[in-house]
Amino acid sequence: MFSLYKKELQGYFFSPIAYVFIGLVTLIFSGFFVWWIYTAASTQIEFSFSYFFYYNILFTTILLIPILTMRAFAEERKNGTEVLLLSSPLSVSKIVIAKFLAVATVLVIAMLISFIYPIIASIHGYVVMPNLIASYIGYLLYGLAYIALGLLVSSFVATPGLAMLLSVAVSLILFFMELMLGSSYIASIPVISDVLYWFSNQAKFENFTQGFCQLSDLVSYATEIAVFLLWTIISIEKRRFSRS
Amino acid sequence: MVEIKHLTKYYGQKAAVKDISFTIGDNEILGFLGPNGAGKSTTLNIMCGVIPSTSGTVTINGYNIETDPVKAKRCIGFLPEIPPVYTDMKVGEYLMFVAGLRGVPSSQRRSHVERVMRRLNIEDVSKRLIGNLSKGYRQRVGFAQALIGDPKVIVLDEPTVGLDPSQLIEVRNIIIDLKRDHSVILSSHILSEISAVCDRVVIISHGEIQAIDTIANLESSAGANTVLKLKVQGSSREVARTAMNVEGVLNVSNITFVKTGVYTYDVELASPDVRNSLLSALLINKMNVIEVAEERKSLEQIFIKLVNQPAGKKKSLKDLLEEMTDESEKSNEISENETEENTPTDENGEV
Repeated sequence: MFSLYKKELQGYFFSPIAYVFIGLVTLIFSGFFVWWIYTAASTQIEFSFSYFFYYNILFTTILLIPILTMRAFAEERKNGTEVLLLSSPLSVSKIVIAKFLAVATVLVIAMLISFIYPIIASIHGYVVMPNLIASYIGYLLYGLAYIALGLLVSSFVATPGLAMLLSVAVSLILFFMELMLGSSYIASIPVISDVLYWFSNQAKFENFTQGFCQLSDLVSYATEIAVFLLWTIISIEKRRFSRS
Repeated sequence: MVEIKHLTKYYGQKAAVKDISFTIGDNEILGFLGPNGAGKSTTLNIMCGVIPSTSGTVTINGYNIETDPVKAKRCIGFLPEIPPVYTDMKVGEYLMFVAGLRGVPSSQRRSHVERVMRRLNIEDVSKRLIGNLSKGYRQRVGFAQALIGDPKVIVLDEPTVGLDPSQLIEVRNIIIDLKRDHSVILSSHILSEISAVCDRVVIISHGEIQAIDTIANLESSAGANTVLKLKVQGSSREVARTAMNVEGVLNVSNITFVKTGVYTYDVELASPDVRNSLLSALLINKMNVIEVAEERKSLEQIFIKLVNQPAGKKKSLKDLLEEMTDESEKSNEISENETEENTPTDENGEV
């Protein structure tokens, strides 16, 4: 399993994909950072980072994570290398987990690089640490959930481009669902707003950015990741039955 | 080594493979022969655990592929129709990855990969991207991949498609070389391929086994009436008489004029060994033999016949050979009647 993980990770770093991803994540971080300083009113700046993570995660999950996950299974299928993995002594679940961990590693590297902003901020201002730490935890979980979703979409199709488009589309649908949750009309119907709230990633992420690290939110993200990964495994096993 | 029992695979309502059973022994090369779409790849994919079967069992080295897939897959090296290579990896890197995938201990990985590369003569391209390699080299990398981890059974799905003649010979030699320490199953729709390297053949068509026999059996039964095509300078009558006097010559027929004093003859021999005594008899009588060609009942014809026969019939190759000779004799006798009989059935078939 480790060799597949290593190969996947090498695949990301020997091609421009990982660099494009990390570069864009960093660019978005920088943009918000500059904007934050630009609009700051007082000279003694207090950084809670909540606002910045909040918008950043939208770009990352909707546009950038699909770039990473699109190749995962779609390209294997397109090039016929899926057969190599399926005929090797690795179970499908190990294959999925190895690929998931490889993409997760790229995300973690991007996050490590983004530590530069809190460090700069702490030199020149005051950083609210609990908010920052909780935000990072939330950011990671949110990202992992979308990585699992991206892998799932990639396991459905045979072309990376299509996988990317579909992932973006699904992420956008989820995003619009979150927007609806915020509307006063939906808020007036408790049943719908409750159900939407259960499935809302952003609402949970908001708690993290406020500095709350609740067990219910952690479990909820973990469940989401597990469900998407299991679904990916099932999707690949199911395709084995119908492939010719 | 490999035991396949009552293997059946349905794609929806369509049966791709129906009730296939055969075995592969130790250090044996088994040919898996059939036209395109006969179910060869499906069977091989099931053997390697890529796709599950609808029913039936595949046992590899004592491990069932469905219930004990990890152990069974460790005993298999698989080269699918399209070599499963990552075009953005270097050859050495790729083989190291496969070694990891197959569970070769990391301390032995490098030396193992180097040994396999040496065996297949791809050491000089080990630092090149697979995407930049020619098809022949890519195929060899695919071969190398199948050999990684020293699996006992090597499964090759049409390994020679798209190779040039010299590469073809190379691949053939590799396969024969593999026999020393592996069992090999080789699928192909090209007959000469199979007859060149395989000990035994399984012929499959419409998802069913039509025949299982050894190449030696097949050749001996086919070679029982070897026909020599001779081109000899000399009087046709004298040549025929001299030939008939040689012990073991059954028949001289089809004497055709080529140019003054030169004729061609079809000489039927009881066994291939008669050839030398026939030739020496001709030479002693100062008849100049210009050309000798041996015509055997071609495997190709047997193959086509097996493949075209209606599904469900199972026969040994010997039965078929006998039937073929019977038919050819009949068709000589009643060739005119046959053509007349054939036309109406064709029309009926269309209606």
